[in-house]
Amino acid sequence: MPSLLVDGGDRAALLERFHATPSGREKPSRYFKYDLESPQIDDAAAERGSGAVSFANVPERAIVCDLATARRDRAELVARAYRQALESHHKYAWLTLAYGGLGAFIYLPDDYAPDAPIVVRYAAEDGASIFPHTLVLAERGARVTVVEHLEIGAGGFACGISEIVACEGAHVTYAAAQFAPEDARAFSTRVARPGRHARVTWATAELGAALAISDIAVTIAEPGAEATIASLFFPSGEQHADVVSTVDHRSGDSISETIVKTAATGRGQARFLGNIRIAEGAQRSNASLRDDSLLLSKSAHVDSIPALEIAANDVKAFHGATVGAIDEEALFYMTSRGITREEAERMIALGFFEPVIERFPTESLRDDLRSALERKVGAA
Amino acid sequence: MSDRGLRISGLRCSVEGTEILKGIDLVVEPGKVHALMGPNGSGKSTLAFSLTGHPKYDVTGGTATLDGEDLLGLAADKRARAGLFLSFQYPAAIPGVKVPNFLFAARQAVRPGELTPAKFRALLLEMMDVLGMDPSFLGRYLNDGFSGGEKKRLEMLQMAVMAPKYAILDETDSGLDVDALKDVGESVKALRASAEGRDTGFLIITHYPRILQHVAPDVVHVMMDGRIVKTGDTELAHRIEREGYDKIREEIGAVA
Ligand SMILES: Nc1ncnc2c1ncn2[C@@H]1O[C@H](COP(=O)(O)OP(=O)(O)O)[C@@H](O)[C@H]1O
Ligand SMILES: [Mg+2]
Repeated sequence: MPSLLVDGGDRAALLERFHATPSGREKPSRYFKYDLESPQIDDAAAERGSGAVSFANVPERAIVCDLATARRDRAELVARAYRQALESHHKYAWLTLAYGGLGAFIYLPDDYAPDAPIVVRYAAEDGASIFPHTLVLAERGARVTVVEHLEIGAGGFACGISEIVACEGAHVTYAAAQFAPEDARAFSTRVARPGRHARVTWATAELGAALAISDIAVTIAEPGAEATIASLFFPSGEQHADVVSTVDHRSGDSISETIVKTAATGRGQARFLGNIRIAEGAQRSNASLRDDSLLLSKSAHVDSIPALEIAANDVKAFHGATVGAIDEEALFYMTSRGITREEAERMIALGFFEPVIERFPTESLRDDLRSALERKVGAA
Repeated sequence: MSDRGLRISGLRCSVEGTEILKGIDLVVEPGKVHALMGPNGSGKSTLAFSLTGHPKYDVTGGTATLDGEDLLGLAADKRARAGLFLSFQYPAAIPGVKVPNFLFAARQAVRPGELTPAKFRALLLEMMDVLGMDPSFLGRYLNDGFSGGEKKRLEMLQMAVMAPKYAILDETDSGLDVDALKDVGESVKALRASAEGRDTGFLIITHYPRILQHVAPDVVHVMMDGRIVKTGDTELAHRIEREGYDKIREEIGAVA
């Protein structure tokens, strides 16, 4: 298995892996202004390391603590999750590991299902770089929702990892909405391994940052597992969002759903690569990939590239995509009800994201997303 | 008083450079029901879209006023606020926009500030009952995945909520089963019986006279090839039912 199991290695070696690993992105199209292969890193700021983690809604029987404490006191549990879902091709994860230290460990014992979502909050000051690594280990039959908040300041840089290991029958939902300042950069690698009959859901949003890079993956290696990736991106102004999702059905009798809504306005640019892989022998896999793109300005740009590699014959695989501006017929329909054109455009643009917003686990998160999207639509 | 009504005079309209409407004269008085019949492609929907301000329909001549207010110079939303409503033959689906939010926005746009959201919701449920609509409609996205009958019911619900001064129903009856047809008839009656809709004038575009058994028309017009070629009473509708459009086509051919 090509995972990063070997621990240790010094910073220089890890950085070398970071630089040597390709981003997995096609050659950037001429529209894209950022270097994704060797993004500029302020080594001094990175080395200073900074940022703090805090928690809310910690349930009684769960273990929720910072990563350093967990590695000291719960080494055997941490070892079952740490770098267990990551794979060597996750380029930006190497960078997180190189400057590792900050992080969180969340452990749910057998069948434990706390009601409220556990909140993990990472905060850093203006201009700081942070490299948070969040681990979620859910034992058999446990059910948990984790909400990650990333609060980085102006000009900040975040490059984080979230890993989920869900044991047999466990359900884990992990939500992360990124609202970083527009001159910050936010990179993330989110990887999950659901066990037999386990279920994992990623609900992610990239709304802030000048450059947002996100790798989201689920590797299904056990039968009966279910995976959902629900993501939305909305670059505006000069923002760029670059997202790769990968669902790897290595075992059959499994279900996955990827649903992505991308809008761009101003001179915003987004690129989405949606990978679905069904391995030979992963029979009776059922995978769907739905991605829709909405262009709200003439100078906005969205590339949406699906890639389905299917090596088994008894599978269901669906892919559907749309790209375009707001439909004139829909606009006329709404304006014929007395709604102004601007208001109709706003309602249609916000409605566009709803199927993904609905996948976020709390009403307050959904409302935060709606308000942030509304501000971006309004500012366009 | 004399300028009241939906008054259309000499209306000409082109779509993508082709003239479709070749001079339409028609007056729908407040509180009256006019039926507009005609074969497929005769220009009925074009008339509906040119009156409501669809950007693809170029009005090249004539006038249209609503109780004296010029319609043709207004954008579509302002025409609706003036009191004009169109029940679409093919309503657009708008994923992500929930039915009640849309209905409230529409109501607020045409009749601002008259109802609190709570009262609005009560009114909505009452009207949905008339239309035989399940309350679960309120959790759905606008026309998204709706059946033909559900779309038409939602059009009627919008009409009820907006209580327009003039309502154009573009083949709201087509493709409906007997029950749905009856519900459409009931919703027109309910609007006419309400305080807000007492004076609503209707232009009911239809292929078939069967809707007219539910809503008796005061006047029946026949449109062919972009012109109104005959105007009469209910008997004209019955004649079309018996004879089809060919006889009328022959007659007008003979006259012309
Ligand atoms: N959007 C359009 N683009 C091109 N041609 C159109 C369009 N709408 C209507 N037409 C043409 O205009 C004529 C009248 O159509 P329409 O008004 O839809 O008739 P009706 O509603 O009576 O069936 C037809 O010949 C039709 O092909
Ligand atoms: Mg028509």
